[in-house]
Amino acid sequence: MAASVARDRLPPLVWAAVLIGAAIMVAPLIWTLLLSLKSNTELVGNSGAALQPPYTLGNYVAIFGSSSTTRWLLNSAVVSLGTTAGVLILASLAGYGFARLDFPFRRSLFVLVLLGLAIPSQAVILHQHQLFADLGLHNSYPGLILPGLIGPFGVFFMTQYMRAIPKELDEAAMLDGASRFTIFWRVILPLTVPAQSTLAVFTFLGSWNDYWWPLISATRSDMYTLTVGLAASQMNYAQTSGLGFLMAQAVFASIPIFMVYIIFQKQIVRAMAGAALK
Amino acid sequence: MPGLELRNIRKAFKGTEVLAGVELAVAPREFIAFLGPSGSGKSTLLRIVAGLETADEGEVVLDDRRIDTLPPGDRGVAMVFQHYALYPHMTVRENMAFGLKNARVPRGEIDALVSDAAKVLEIEELLDRKPGQMSGGQRQRVAIGRAIVKKPRLFLLDEPLSNLDAALRLRTRVELAQLRQRVDAGVIMVTHDQAEAMTLADRIVVFNDRRIQQVAPPMEIYSRPANSFVARFVGSPAMTILPARLDGGGDFARVVLGNDARVDTRVPRNGLPQGETVEIGMRPESVRVCGLGEGTTDAEVQLVERLGERSLVYARLRDGAAITAEDEGTTSAKVGDQVGLRIDGAAAHLFGPDGTGYHRQAA
Repeated sequence: MAASVARDRLPPLVWAAVLIGAAIMVAPLIWTLLLSLKSNTELVGNSGAALQPPYTLGNYVAIFGSSSTTRWLLNSAVVSLGTTAGVLILASLAGYGFARLDFPFRRSLFVLVLLGLAIPSQAVILHQHQLFADLGLHNSYPGLILPGLIGPFGVFFMTQYMRAIPKELDEAAMLDGASRFTIFWRVILPLTVPAQSTLAVFTFLGSWNDYWWPLISATRSDMYTLTVGLAASQMNYAQTSGLGFLMAQAVFASIPIFMVYIIFQKQIVRAMAGAALK
Repeated sequence: MPGLELRNIRKAFKGTEVLAGVELAVAPREFIAFLGPSGSGKSTLLRIVAGLETADEGEVVLDDRRIDTLPPGDRGVAMVFQHYALYPHMTVRENMAFGLKNARVPRGEIDALVSDAAKVLEIEELLDRKPGQMSGGQRQRVAIGRAIVKKPRLFLLDEPLSNLDAALRLRTRVELAQLRQRVDAGVIMVTHDQAEAMTLADRIVVFNDRRIQQVAPPMEIYSRPANSFVARFVGSPAMTILPARLDGGGDFARVVLGNDARVDTRVPRNGLPQGETVEIGMRPESVRVCGLGEGTTDAEVQLVERLGERSLVYARLRDGAAITAEDEGTTSAKVGDQVGLRIDGAAAHLFGPDGTGYHRQAA
């Protein structure tokens, strides 16, 4: 209610500013979409042609017919979903452990996990690369997924969330004869669904958009993720069939992420707002 | 022995002792109230019985079986938590069935047990709701229902009424009293509300300072408090306790207050501790307001509380001691008035230097 009142009272000038801001944000997206709907030959001479019909779906058809985009899309999906699932499982278990179990060095270990947040991935990349090379994991799904599972943020996030769940629930479940795992699985975990979905969205988006590690680990083009694949297309004109095709690839690549945003809008906004308030 | 037995229970948290060797026997089907101020150890003892805390020493025995070595779910006890602790994501039906499922009770039997309990508690129409869609009173019933379905041998209630508003608390208190007639199990209720303890319990266990101060039926706690702590803690307003001096008398003790007023008590003289120094305890209802000079002593009125059917008169004796008296609801006493106070010596209690209570002989 409060939000709608605030919206109604927005002064005209602010309205105008918001509209202009939105237009600036949306313009490149629309430009990309329009370019993707034009044939390459038309665009060679004048990219302004994107503003006039005729439009065609030819570039999209070409994606499925003649490029590796579908393969990269599949790779991205496997890596992102795998990473997300792994992070959720590990962060939930670790979070429950830190929030509820009493074990030696719990506090020190938790601090250690938090310190992990302070280490940039670039700082360890050489050793990571060497390690994965030694293990023969480059150019494989495990090789692309495993580094993403090390998520101090997820552990911290789930720990904090679980700490906020009243301990009386665990105790009630203990009196109800539930085992430790039953308490985790049937009582605590279902209550963390809002946190899980927030963490899932962030992890999925982060993994989908990741460019750094796949660029290093996936050297064979059939193991490229979308980000790496599209970047490779841009740099290597031999693979590029023109501007329209490239834009169609970009649009195609953003469809899954766009859908994630649409479906999980509420969680994303809530997570962002929460982060902003903290 | 059937029922619950607590043997020499000791517990300390990080070096701070909270229970110093507690012994207690609870008969089967007995309703016991643990009464005491915050931090007196009563909740800790309840949690030790439940298995949510482990005692450092001692044994918990239920129906001749030692249960303090068993996990909480295997002890044959059910608990109603202060904040209900209903599983928010489960419906009422699932909440009530959860413990039975864990005990691998057959599905058909679970359904029957849940609907029986729901009928008893009149929560049948709530069975498919979730806790968030219910009022505090309804949640309370569900919490009780969740305990009942397990058919425990002992119910543990942790301040079960403290979250309810005054009207609902009264109603739920009556319901608890009725409910306890229907279940075949003992009940231990932790409370700091003496009215709850007095109205519900067969016996009250008064806790203070890590120890049990007294175990007795409610009226005995009220009329024959074991020590000055129990005397002060039970009863509202609190008993007036004043320093006094033993001064002869026949079979019964006569005491002199600080302002030289004499009170002839019905407390037998033999059995009283050596020495002259004692304390005298008087409930407000045994100190009546009367005309100046007509009573045991005179006093100056400090405050008058009109409660309708009676008034409480807070007064000060000549030596400055505060005393609480009672008068008619239509009392004419005003702040600053000098009044007489008639002390009913027959209802007075004496307390020795160590706080031990001495009372008139039981009738």
